[in-house]
Amino acid sequence: MTELLVKNACVIDPIQGINGEIMDIAIRDGRIVESVSDRAEVIDAQRCLTLPGGIDSHTHVCGTKVNFGRYMSPEDMRAGRTQRRGRMHVTSGYYVPTTFGNSYRYSAMGYTTLLEGAMAPLEARHTHEEFTATPHQDMLANTLFDGNWAVMDAVREKNIKKTAAIVGWTLNAIKGYAIKLTNPGGTEAWGWGEDLTSIHDQVPHFEVTPAEIITAMIQANELLKLPHSVHLHCNNLGKPGNYQTTLDTFELVPDLNPDRQTLYATHVQFHAYGGRTWRNICSKAEEITRSVNSKPQIVMDMGQIMFCRTMTMTADGPMEFNLHCLHHNKWSNHDVELETGSGIIPVTYSKKSAVNCIMWAIGLELALLTKSPWQCLLETDNPNGAPFVKYPEVIGLLMSKRYRDEECATLHPDTEGNTSLCALEREMDWHDIAVMTRAGQAKALGIINQGKGHLGTGAEADIAIYPIRTDSVDPAREYRKVVEGFQKTRYTIKRGRVVSQDGEIIVDGANATFWANAKIPEDIRVDNDPEFIRRFQEFYTVRMSNYPVQEIYLPRGRRVDTEAFT
Amino acid sequence: MKCILNTGRSVPQGVSVEHKGSEEYRTAASVCFLNAVDMMLLGIENGERIRVSSPAGDVVLTARSAEGVKQGEIFVTTGPYANHIISSETHATGMPDFKSQYVDVHVTEERVMSVGELMEEIGGLRYVSQ
Amino acid sequence: MLVNDVVCPFCGCLCDDLELEVEADRVVRVLNGCSLAEATFMNDTRLPAPIRRTSTAWEKISYDEAIKETADILKDADRPLLYGWSSTHGDTQSVGVHIAELIGAVIDNTSTVCHGPSILAIQEVGHPGCTLGQVKNRADVIIYWGCNPIEAHPRHMSRYTTFATGFFVPDAQRERTIIVVDTRRNDSGGIADEFVQIEPGGDYAVLSALRALVRGKESVIPKKVAGISKEQLIRIAGICKNAKFGAIFFGLGLTMSRGKYKNVRNAIELTDELNRHTKFVISPMRGHGNVYGSNEVFTWMTGYPFAVDFARGIAFYNPGETTAVDILRRGECDAALIVASDPGANFPRVAAAHLAKIPTVLIDPHVNATTSLSRIHIPCTAAGIDAAGTAYRMDGVPIRLKKVIERGYPDDAEILKKIYDCLNGWMIP
Repeated sequence: MTELLVKNACVIDPIQGINGEIMDIAIRDGRIVESVSDRAEVIDAQRCLTLPGGIDSHTHVCGTKVNFGRYMSPEDMRAGRTQRRGRMHVTSGYYVPTTFGNSYRYSAMGYTTLLEGAMAPLEARHTHEEFTATPHQDMLANTLFDGNWAVMDAVREKNIKKTAAIVGWTLNAIKGYAIKLTNPGGTEAWGWGEDLTSIHDQVPHFEVTPAEIITAMIQANELLKLPHSVHLHCNNLGKPGNYQTTLDTFELVPDLNPDRQTLYATHVQFHAYGGRTWRNICSKAEEITRSVNSKPQIVMDMGQIMFCRTMTMTADGPMEFNLHCLHHNKWSNHDVELETGSGIIPVTYSKKSAVNCIMWAIGLELALLTKSPWQCLLETDNPNGAPFVKYPEVIGLLMSKRYRDEECATLHPDTEGNTSLCALEREMDWHDIAVMTRAGQAKALGIINQGKGHLGTGAEADIAIYPIRTDSVDPAREYRKVVEGFQKTRYTIKRGRVVSQDGEIIVDGANATFWANAKIPEDIRVDNDPEFIRRFQEFYTVRMSNYPVQEIYLPRGRRVDTEAFT
Repeated sequence: MKCILNTGRSVPQGVSVEHKGSEEYRTAASVCFLNAVDMMLLGIENGERIRVSSPAGDVVLTARSAEGVKQGEIFVTTGPYANHIISSETHATGMPDFKSQYVDVHVTEERVMSVGELMEEIGGLRYVSQ
Repeated sequence: MLVNDVVCPFCGCLCDDLELEVEADRVVRVLNGCSLAEATFMNDTRLPAPIRRTSTAWEKISYDEAIKETADILKDADRPLLYGWSSTHGDTQSVGVHIAELIGAVIDNTSTVCHGPSILAIQEVGHPGCTLGQVKNRADVIIYWGCNPIEAHPRHMSRYTTFATGFFVPDAQRERTIIVVDTRRNDSGGIADEFVQIEPGGDYAVLSALRALVRGKESVIPKKVAGISKEQLIRIAGICKNAKFGAIFFGLGLTMSRGKYKNVRNAIELTDELNRHTKFVISPMRGHGNVYGSNEVFTWMTGYPFAVDFARGIAFYNPGETTAVDILRRGECDAALIVASDPGANFPRVAAAHLAKIPTVLIDPHVNATTSLSRIHIPCTAAGIDAAGTAYRMDGVPIRLKKVIERGYPDDAEILKKIYDCLNGWMIP
């Protein structure tokens, strides 16, 4: 039995309804309890800001395309490197760090749970191997279904049960957590070098539209009672005028689940552009947030960009090729048979570019114009908009109008006319930030009852103690202190153990991987369906028996069972 | 005769690659394929031996004519025989000139060494299983 | 006993549809495999026990002794080289990187003398590729450039390209156009619709000519380029531009010949150019069963796919300097640990000779040329035969190798963990 007592913590725990109370937190064997014995180890938080461990609900840190980003970028590996020190392994890289680099830097920032944004089922084993090498965060994997042949066939047949059965079998086989749709239908079209331009375009050969795929997958998701909702990267990412596609997509979404949203729309900044060309692109954040504010069934995340050099990587292969044709830098592409695509190119977001400045402003506008912080979560689509180490700066910008104004003064002159950012007075408070960086994610991902995102009795003792005294810092004026404070915790506690102290990792770490297991009735299970098996054996290049990820790849697998079809 | 040495994989070499002490491997790895015209110019028949030398060293191989090999080129399967005459220079890429080593070819009566003998020539000691 | 859906660990194809008949500790029959697979499973003669070289002979030693002595050698080394890693599974590769990090070694894998130059090219211009099933189901034009699949990847054509039935290409043999480009007319060239015989060293020029043609710059092409007629070049550029889905597979003919990584870069840029007209992909034909896995594991752990030098404490990468052949050629390393490979046979003479001058330890199931150059040889399991673990196919698809028999050998990952523990005990004050 191990016990720990965190004393004098200034706790903000939105899920428990605690907002800045000074209290003690008792921990036994990795969980939060009512009280501990007087033999417990004691940490004095000295009235510092204490939050549940940070949760990133959309980041790219592990798997085939992330590793390819590293593989093709020795220039980035040189940009961030540390020696082996104490318990810390060597790290390399700034915007696509090695797995240990990701894990240590997230941990130093108080993050204890990450959702990998895109995992191709065929290559899931790779993602899980890297999860094991990302030791300080519990991991979940979004699983790509945007170009899944079996799913598109079932959708065309309007067979929701079968759609659900395919999803359920796949998640179980490859140990995925949630449904991810990246440019639905578009990644299949990219198999022929094409793309779709609206949610009502037909996918070549398959005779289904993105709208049909999205609608059916939402229904299948709820039939399976999956903990998270459908997680969508909308069609037409990064194209001027794409906000209409995004609005059309939001209109498809019914409100089906009382506990959480029905659609999670990711990195919406990239989907909120007006105008027709790069020359007259403008912000449509107001239109997008008006829609979201009226639809509790939708949660989005920002997809904030920050000015820096970084790497874009997504399953959206055609988008990456278009971007490559603009940037003329190196380009990688990796289509995955019967499932999805992916692309990678490096980019530099510059204040000298009007487009980049408008993008930067849109991300912030989305957050500031969304009334409920529970509906617009903070992230950068790491590393697409910026590496996650920029989160503290994003927090600073949201909390300080002065910081925003100072930044705006350095931007391209076309920014002001094409966005409304400068006119927004809103300054977020500590509670808003706690929602946007952990509580909102826990709710959106459906992991509150797994003990994530709050500090209630029985919760996992994942805690971040920041060197910030909320009673003596005015974030509107002293935003630099806010940024610094969120960069490095005093303590990051993972499952009841201090893993990081003042930015130094002090233990080896042992994460868990959550995956969803929906119970599917025997008669509709696809592994009992001879036609499904025949097509699998004929068109995949691996045998169906070699496709599932063995449990040995999840040394601390946490299966989340659902009562599907009930 | 001046030639360019090309190397590559072959099925017989691949099949016996985990048995480098075997006669089968010696045969597969020590054959040098030449263009028939070059064979004629050298005045040799299939199965006769040639000494192939480069600034890195020299090695005796068994000559055989092959249709696909152009005049002025010779082909030896990837392995210790070819490597005995390939330079370690990589031109700052890490990769030696496995497919473009300039060599001299002479007719010889000498025999083809075993892999063990080749390794002993560079300081090794053959292991013979009991 | 019959075992189904077995993965062959020999080459980068990682065919996973083999059927093996197993009797006790032997494989007695291999179905569906090529002759390389058959030899891999059936002629699997191992070194029986660890051996150590004395001045004139070899003596048997225990595993404990061999492990202790290996750790001693590595501990005493100022500039150790850890090399190999491609014919084993991911756990072994991962422990190898941890050892290198611990003792400040250089760690390199066999891609250094295989597709290392392809990696350098990809680091310059990226890699538009895909999984092999994408090619199988869609490609109507296949180009094999500087590689000989019939000899080196015997089932590549039947599983993934020429003869494979694909969803959109049901009549593969009729519907696919096969182009083979090589300096030598080999067996693969024999089944091509279009064989292109290039003069040695002419790949770069031919690729440039094709790029120009795809861009519509016909007038700049001379009558012949590296032995290829302008007419043939125009024909090939036309076939490529009119493809629905084209795939280029390239081999060591590009990476090892004059120009090396610049050849590969040019081939990638041709692919890039073709994507402005249709869909095109390009992929290296990776050799060893899990060589791509060694690149993957090295990359997520260190940031670099091969040639990683930990001497400065951080991970440092500079091919040409930190690559195994260069370190050996310069006589720089003073100890070597070779795992699952045979540099004695595969490195040029001078580089191989240096291994015999320094204490070299070999961990490999089989006696090979490097055995003769070693101080100690420790036999172990062979991944995919008597050990399970992850391997990455040439297209990046991770597949779990199976353990089909038990032969009583320790896993190389276990041996290395013990060496790591010995070293760790000494290193941490």
